[in-house]
Amino acid sequence: MKIEQKILIVDDESDFRIPLAKIFSRRGLAVDTADSCSQALAKMAAGPFDVIVMDVSMPELNGIHCLMLIKQEWPDSEIIILTGHASVDSGIEGMKGGAFDYCLKPIDTNELLEKIELACEKVRITRDEKI
Amino acid sequence: MSGISNWIKSVFSPVKSTRCTPEELQIIFKSRYRHFRALLTANNNALEAMAEMEQVLQSGQIFSMAFIRSRSTAVMVNVYKMVKHLTEISEGRYHQLDPAFEKISTQVNDILEEAPRIHSGEWIIPLIKIKRIHVDQVGEKMANLGEVASLACMKTPPGFAITVSAASHFLSANNLGPEIGRLLQMLDTDNLAEVYRASAAIQQLISNSKLPADLEAKIYAAYAELEKETKVDVTVAMRSSALGEDNAGASFAGQYHTELNTHKEFIGQTYKEIVASKYTSRAILYRLQKGYLHKDIEMGVGCLAMVDAAVSGVLYTRDPANSASSWVLLNMTQGTAQRVVDGTCNTDLFLVSRQSPHMILQHKTAQNPNGTDSGLAFPDILTMKWAAKLTEMALILEDHFGSPQDIEWSIDRKGEIIILQSRPMSAAVAFGETDTSQNGSATEDESLLRGFPKRTPCIACEDGHCGFPQDNEWSIDEQGENAILEDNSLGDDGSEGGSDNSQKVVESEEQPLLRGLVTGSQGVACGPVFLVRSSVDMLQFPKGAVLVVEHPLPEWAPLLTKAIALIGETGSVAGHLATVSREFSIPALFGVANCLTKLSNGEIVTVDANNRLLYRGKREDLLAQGARKRDLMVGSPVQGLLRKLLQHITPLNLTDPASPYFKSSYCETLHDITRFCHEKAVVEMFRFGERNHFDQRAAKRLVGDVPLDWWVIDLADGFREGTDVTSKTICMEDIVSTPMKAIWEGIASFPWQGPPAVSVRGLGSILFQSTMQQGLEPAVASAMTVKNYFLISKNFCNLSVRLGYHFAMIEAYMSDLLTESYVTFTFKGGAADTTRKVGRITLLCEILSQFDFRLEQKGDSLTARVEKRPIEFLRQRLKILGYLSLHARQIDMVMNNPASVNHYRNKFLTEIKTMLS
Repeated sequence: MKIEQKILIVDDESDFRIPLAKIFSRRGLAVDTADSCSQALAKMAAGPFDVIVMDVSMPELNGIHCLMLIKQEWPDSEIIILTGHASVDSGIEGMKGGAFDYCLKPIDTNELLEKIELACEKVRITRDEKI
Repeated sequence: MSGISNWIKSVFSPVKSTRCTPEELQIIFKSRYRHFRALLTANNNALEAMAEMEQVLQSGQIFSMAFIRSRSTAVMVNVYKMVKHLTEISEGRYHQLDPAFEKISTQVNDILEEAPRIHSGEWIIPLIKIKRIHVDQVGEKMANLGEVASLACMKTPPGFAITVSAASHFLSANNLGPEIGRLLQMLDTDNLAEVYRASAAIQQLISNSKLPADLEAKIYAAYAELEKETKVDVTVAMRSSALGEDNAGASFAGQYHTELNTHKEFIGQTYKEIVASKYTSRAILYRLQKGYLHKDIEMGVGCLAMVDAAVSGVLYTRDPANSASSWVLLNMTQGTAQRVVDGTCNTDLFLVSRQSPHMILQHKTAQNPNGTDSGLAFPDILTMKWAAKLTEMALILEDHFGSPQDIEWSIDRKGEIIILQSRPMSAAVAFGETDTSQNGSATEDESLLRGFPKRTPCIACEDGHCGFPQDNEWSIDEQGENAILEDNSLGDDGSEGGSDNSQKVVESEEQPLLRGLVTGSQGVACGPVFLVRSSVDMLQFPKGAVLVVEHPLPEWAPLLTKAIALIGETGSVAGHLATVSREFSIPALFGVANCLTKLSNGEIVTVDANNRLLYRGKREDLLAQGARKRDLMVGSPVQGLLRKLLQHITPLNLTDPASPYFKSSYCETLHDITRFCHEKAVVEMFRFGERNHFDQRAAKRLVGDVPLDWWVIDLADGFREGTDVTSKTICMEDIVSTPMKAIWEGIASFPWQGPPAVSVRGLGSILFQSTMQQGLEPAVASAMTVKNYFLISKNFCNLSVRLGYHFAMIEAYMSDLLTESYVTFTFKGGAADTTRKVGRITLLCEILSQFDFRLEQKGDSLTARVEKRPIEFLRQRLKILGYLSLHARQIDMVMNNPASVNHYRNKFLTEIKTMLS
């Protein structure tokens, strides 16, 4: 797999976020992390990311709200939301909010990687079409 | 007639303002195809999740609220995606789907919100009160053991479970959550030393915390009851029984702590240590590796009286490499439980017949490291008695739980068999995913030589340092020392040294007539075969028959109210018909090669969908097994909830695309929406050429030795690399589109001999039609009407053929992924009167039905399609369509003459067969 796009992982839980970033880095992805919605928005402003992997349940601003803000400002970025067992609604809400896809926690890293790959492909196509 | 005329005009109108350039067409095509593929993926995901939900309900398998929520989310999100992708493909034509989806998802959410809270239950539950329905309170291991304990013929150690609610109470009473979270957040998982340090710190934190007085009192009250039941100061085995251990294929095997021989005064402390073992370094790393959140895993603990074991071991009710084996694998070993945990014991392995009287078929003795036998040293008669009794009990458990079991047992010093655990053999093991097509099923010898496969450690020794076979806790009765079991073991070369009984048992079993690859719906049923190939067969289908089809299409769904079982040559567990089969509890077996040719109408067969086998005649034994299946989750709140949910998810009401009720507004369930979206997506895809006008100047003329006037537009990679893009012409050698090449083979297979000779009456009919329909008047038609257009990519082709008065369209997408592949053929129009045009359509239907096309005839128009077939199969069908699109033109003019009809029928069939041969 060759993914050139930049990936941002947004999750308040470091025991999830950090190892996931390490796994993806080892697989050759350019990854950065954010522990909150505000940090994610700041990092997006500093240099937009192509694909954002984001937990929907975060303190301060929840992931769905954050998703909408990002899509509004950076519509070409694709977002994959992560939802837990307890939040059936959030999967649909996220999709309605413009998410590219969702992954259920606990995640299967290979499944998430496949979805990231598809999201990257979409980003690439959207860019090519604009050119 | 004006409809088609306008339509043709609209497609081929020379008005330039509405035309697309090749580049625009390519973008439209790519976008549409991307949505189409995504829709199909979502369709598969939704149907798979539905299938999983139905299967757990049907099989009585254990499941929890987490399972229900995750699968409901998967279904809803994927159905939502399908709706969105269809909206994109169709440019919003099916807007009624949105309210239909909203309505159903609201119903589903309302039911899920009623879900019972699982962590507000009791802290202690005696084993005798535990059933599988308590899995969310006590963890899977204790839930299963409780179920065993409830059976009259089984004995388990007495004891009780300390629930996950108790663990939550313990942790929250000590306010441990924030500190554990802080320690984990600081963790660098790449630094193992750091992980060990954090793990030790957390475990110490938990172990040193005080057990809340109210919880401690309850635990000791339960222990006091256990003493009354057994003896004063009884020692106990304390075992972890965590939630979520079987989620997402993660076994969590050996991650947590178990303590044997625990004395009364240490119970409280041991309990805390087991709860703390959630944070062993291996458990922390395992969860991270698997992507679990620590908070998703909660710890239940089992507290069971120690068994004064004489003999112990493990039994598999099926050979892991051969799901149809007629023997069980039984493992016995000498030594105490502690020796087993230490990995210092040896084991003997027996194959025991599943058939009463359960004879030992083979025996392999345990070996010492120095190569000498260290096997069982007790009378063979006693071993045989135990083996027979253990097998009998194991088969009862297999029957009760409805699947092959992995059973741990002990025999106490009174000679009583005690079950320590019974759990389903893992899916891969239980259903023999070994590729038997290549290797064949394992024989007894192979099983014995191989020994047990590596298995996960058992409840008795979960601290994980012992893999199988060391994880058996047992000891040998003194009385067995005097006599040695007759050695039936295999020689070193693997040659058979066992008793002849084994062969007799195997050979006496009737061989199945056919084997399937996929269980669409579980169960066993017997009845007469009825083959269904067409809608005519459908009308004649008798009640109580076994429905045999080539391809399990949704159109056959109405027959499942009459059928007793379903057999298909193709099909998957996630197919629409599989879903409906489960809804009606009809056994369904798919992937049964050549069942249509090997079975004949009226033949009595027994379908064993559980084991994916089909037998000739009536197999009472299998039917009896099927009848005894019971649902162990009956009465549980989660099962009630799942049943309620599925009413909004799986029933399929939209089965017939030709029905006036096949509309988005009639979608009552999420399954209806998937069916509707899938059907309409295919329709929309093959209307690509119809809906997207193109600039005629974008096309390249096909040159070479070709009849008529053919033009080609490349949508993406349809031309050979290096082809001159500026050239106005193209030749067949430069075409790399697989479907176009196949169509072309059909067109070029036989020369077209021109239109048939028309009688005066026939000519009169044409002239009359031309007068009445200006749009069809050849003089009015533009030059475009005689051109035939191919829109192509490497795997896609849309051919519009217009000649004279008829119009034909062939469209195909060919992919290794079967769900994406399709071929469609639309044929309409003609110059003759309606009777003759209908005559031609009827003839085409007759021919195409012989080549597996699904047909829809409306007046003088015909739509034929094949889907989800391998590329070579579709190539052959495209050749047929290519041939017919050329040779069936203008024959409508002579379709009032039976002799002409016969002539063309024979000619077409003969030439097609020659072409395909």
